[in-house]
Amino acid sequence: MDKKRLLMMVEIAIFAAVGLVLDQISFKMWAQGGSISFVMVPIILMAIRWGLTAGLATGLLIGIMQMMFGAYIVHWLQAILDYGLAFTVVGLAAIIRKPLLQATQSLNKTKMALYIVIGTLLGGSLRLVCHLLAGVVFFKEFAGDDNVWMYSIIYNGSYMLPATIITAIIAILLFTSAPRLLQKVQ
Amino acid sequence: MEKMIFGRYIPGNSFVHKLDPRSKLLFVFAFIIVVFFANNTLTYGILLAFTLIVILLSKIRLYFLINGLKPVIFLMLFTLILHLFMTREGPVLVDLGFMKIYEEGLRQGVYISMRFLMLVFMTSILTLTTSPISITDGLEVLLNPFKKIKLPVHELALMMSISLRFIPTLMDETDKIMKAQMARGSDLSAGPIKDRLKAVVPLLVPLFISAFKRAEDLATAMEVRGYRGGEGRTKYRLLKWHAKDTIILVALVIMAILLWMLRG
Repeated sequence: MDKKRLLMMVEIAIFAAVGLVLDQISFKMWAQGGSISFVMVPIILMAIRWGLTAGLATGLLIGIMQMMFGAYIVHWLQAILDYGLAFTVVGLAAIIRKPLLQATQSLNKTKMALYIVIGTLLGGSLRLVCHLLAGVVFFKEFAGDDNVWMYSIIYNGSYMLPATIITAIIAILLFTSAPRLLQKVQ
Repeated sequence: MEKMIFGRYIPGNSFVHKLDPRSKLLFVFAFIIVVFFANNTLTYGILLAFTLIVILLSKIRLYFLINGLKPVIFLMLFTLILHLFMTREGPVLVDLGFMKIYEEGLRQGVYISMRFLMLVFMTSILTLTTSPISITDGLEVLLNPFKKIKLPVHELALMMSISLRFIPTLMDETDKIMKAQMARGSDLSAGPIKDRLKAVVPLLVPLFISAFKRAEDLATAMEVRGYRGGEGRTKYRLLKWHAKDTIILVALVIMAILLWMLRG
């Protein structure tokens, strides 16, 4: 097996574990598994270091492991959206990989911050969309048909908005002060 | 930090503990769909009896199940209250003046909360009686058909086992780094949010660097031992399918047919 691919696999695995650990130590204050946490930081890091596939894989692993550690499943579609897809799509932050790495090379911190914000916002909003849809499925099955979108937006927005902002701030502070985290070992 | 336990697996020797993870996963997945078949008192009664039997067979103390319910109790109450006050069918049961509770509302509310409870209990029983590593082994086998559409099932399962293996190690490491930074005067749990976020960076940098080092060492060790992917790889933990695995799946199918026939 190609050494680079093996290293990528192992890094994904270990950073998925880092994600779960960070999820535990950050502010646990929301019900139903939704928490304001740094869990997205390692996913974004892997997406930038190794590219799209690695970002998606890290997210998927985190989602499945969260499910193993006690998930709240109320509908099969909600399970797929909340645990299978929600974290995986954060890996799509990889689309800012090239310009971000270029900015890192030239040590342009403003540009770096800009791309990090774009990437985090994209990942965060896609994750929000997944949780929103899962919420709609939940409220449709359990709360009747009225206002399902409103309930879901209020519930999921209330923690996803701060979570995305906090992730962006942490990612900017972290990657601009330690840019070598973003570069693979040669 | 010690109080945080990862996973809620409780080792045991019960009937449910000894089942093959594959049959448990299939069972829970099917149950999640079958629950929605019930729509009258009789079918809900059958489902409830079935769930209670599974709880008894798992020998899990009710305390653990109730405990897992805490974070979702708000949602459950919310949906219950919504049904109580929003459904306006059938005769009026209680008249509070400004609000009326109808029979149909009470019925829907009770059904929905029961469905919610049974789903949470059943999925909790799976994670309480099956260790994450056996779930991974089970998933690897069950997801095998997806190899045809180029989903790297073996690789994902391997990464999952590595991840699970390193969670406690990284937890200790994080704890150590946090204590080291606290000894130098950094405060993660107090002060304005701006300072707290800034204090996270000196925690994450050493954690990430050491994680990269661990990854590199592990990749080297795997390469040295000749790891070359899933083809022809033998397993340390073997899964065994017993008669009881078939029995619980058959029992579920019978119940599903019964529910389908008796639903209103």
